[in-house]
Amino acid sequence: METPDYDNEFDAIVVGAGLAGSAAALAMANQDLDVLVLERGQSPGTKNVFGGVLYTPTVRELVDIDDAPLERYVAEKRYGVLTETDETAVTMRPGEWLEEPHNDSYTVLRGSFDEWFAEQAVDAGATLLTETTVTGLVREPGGGAAEGRVVGVETDRPDGTIRAPVVVVAEGANSLVSEGAGLRDHHDREDVAVAAKEVLKFDRETIEQRFRLNGDQGVAYNYFGEGAVGDAVGGGFIYTNKRTVSVGVAYSIEDAVASDQNPEETLNDFKQHPAVAPLVRGGRTVEYSAHAIPEGGIDAVPDLVSDGALLAGDAAGLVLNNGVHLEGTNMAVESGYQAGRAVAAAVDGDDGSVDDRALATYPEELADSFVVQNLQHYDFFQELAVEDREFLFSELPRALADAETEYFAVDRDPKEAHAEAAKDRLLDAAGGYVGAAKRAWKYRKLLS
Amino acid sequence: MSTTSPTTDRDALPDVPDVENASTEDRLYADKYTDHEDSHLGVKVAGFCTDKCDTDDCVAVCPADVWRVEGDDEVPTIAYENCLECGSCRFACPHNNVAWEYPERGAGVSYKYG
Repeated sequence: METPDYDNEFDAIVVGAGLAGSAAALAMANQDLDVLVLERGQSPGTKNVFGGVLYTPTVRELVDIDDAPLERYVAEKRYGVLTETDETAVTMRPGEWLEEPHNDSYTVLRGSFDEWFAEQAVDAGATLLTETTVTGLVREPGGGAAEGRVVGVETDRPDGTIRAPVVVVAEGANSLVSEGAGLRDHHDREDVAVAAKEVLKFDRETIEQRFRLNGDQGVAYNYFGEGAVGDAVGGGFIYTNKRTVSVGVAYSIEDAVASDQNPEETLNDFKQHPAVAPLVRGGRTVEYSAHAIPEGGIDAVPDLVSDGALLAGDAAGLVLNNGVHLEGTNMAVESGYQAGRAVAAAVDGDDGSVDDRALATYPEELADSFVVQNLQHYDFFQELAVEDREFLFSELPRALADAETEYFAVDRDPKEAHAEAAKDRLLDAAGGYVGAAKRAWKYRKLLS
Repeated sequence: MSTTSPTTDRDALPDVPDVENASTEDRLYADKYTDHEDSHLGVKVAGFCTDKCDTDDCVAVCPADVWRVEGDDEVPTIAYENCLECGSCRFACPHNNVAWEYPERGAGVSYKYG
């Protein structure tokens, strides 16, 4: 294979053409930096998996998304708690979501979106090399770092060493390169979720009738409770695309290894739930995928800059899951964008020198952004979810189902007796008035 | 007053449509895959599996039936060509004994939808 020599030809190297990597490359190319993006897949997106909904505020800051391969905008959200046999759900369809820019929330398929997003970086001047796996980082003595400064990457290409003044590592959740180079620790398994997902093919009309959709409207459904993922901390999801529906489960690896079923069996059970089965039945499986999700919160985020290397996106553990907000793509794009801006300010394109103070603005800017602010604000949740799992995922869904069955029971008794019994059932689960008040206090930050 | 007696057995409920789930084999067959001859997965020290491990967490966490312990196996066999490259086995192993490398030059699974 023909191999042009890329060694020392670029101002910066980006590892991975996912959302964080392409955002970084765009930000740098926009500032006239020569940037090389290395992607291990056959094209950008082929190694990438998410739920998913793409949140686009930062994407729109970087590029015009009119031509982007979006599937549907999110016109309806649903949060459902499931027992084995019951669903209690909140559904919302605010009119404002129908109007552009649709609350910046779109379902996309990563195979097409990531390819398009990487093309935008190439159009801005970045160089993209696919089928090129970064196997390690190159260090050289000096730069004030004990182990030496990062000055490039090792790849699986012939003559695989490629040097550049700065490396942005946006390799994703299975962060082999950053761990291998000592830029981050191995994740604890309680900080990582395993996700299994299926893409089901339907005709467009079936999707639109089944989910009450008109035109480009779509839904984002999230499910919790033992009917979703058994007694694990996690949940199930359904997202509508144009002609496909994405259905999947994601839950803590710590729980997955303790469970007597594997993630595929958990997915099968979720799909067979009485409230879920009518939504997903009849679809033909066109893809089965799996992914790891870093959910360790702010405590698991490593140093974002060290020794001339920057971490962004999943590789930096930038994912928010507080039960209500399940976000990662927007944080990946924002972190890549901020990393790219810092690199552009730090690298002198003429002599390849790097201003470390300018690189250090990346974690500072990110700390002031929604990315870190949200992680800090909702830091309490993961720990609470583990501590309160029995209540949250088992007792509460059952109590809700029992109470609503009781409250709406139709028979020849006065309604007052049913209402009283329903209230008692809820109070019983919550631990009486005192218990309910304590729980309300504990979870107050969820809605603030 | 009547009290409700909640049903907890899903199979006992009428009118729940059967969702026909594809088999693991058929699911994996739906994915695009580029063959590579050498496994990108392995165990670092086989002795750890033999001496230290009695939980087979790699098997329990795998969504694609890559990791298998059958019969009297002490060290798992690895059907690496099933791998969806999620990396969960690497995180799951409490002995940090999973050797994992990215498949080279674009090989392995290629997601079209993602």
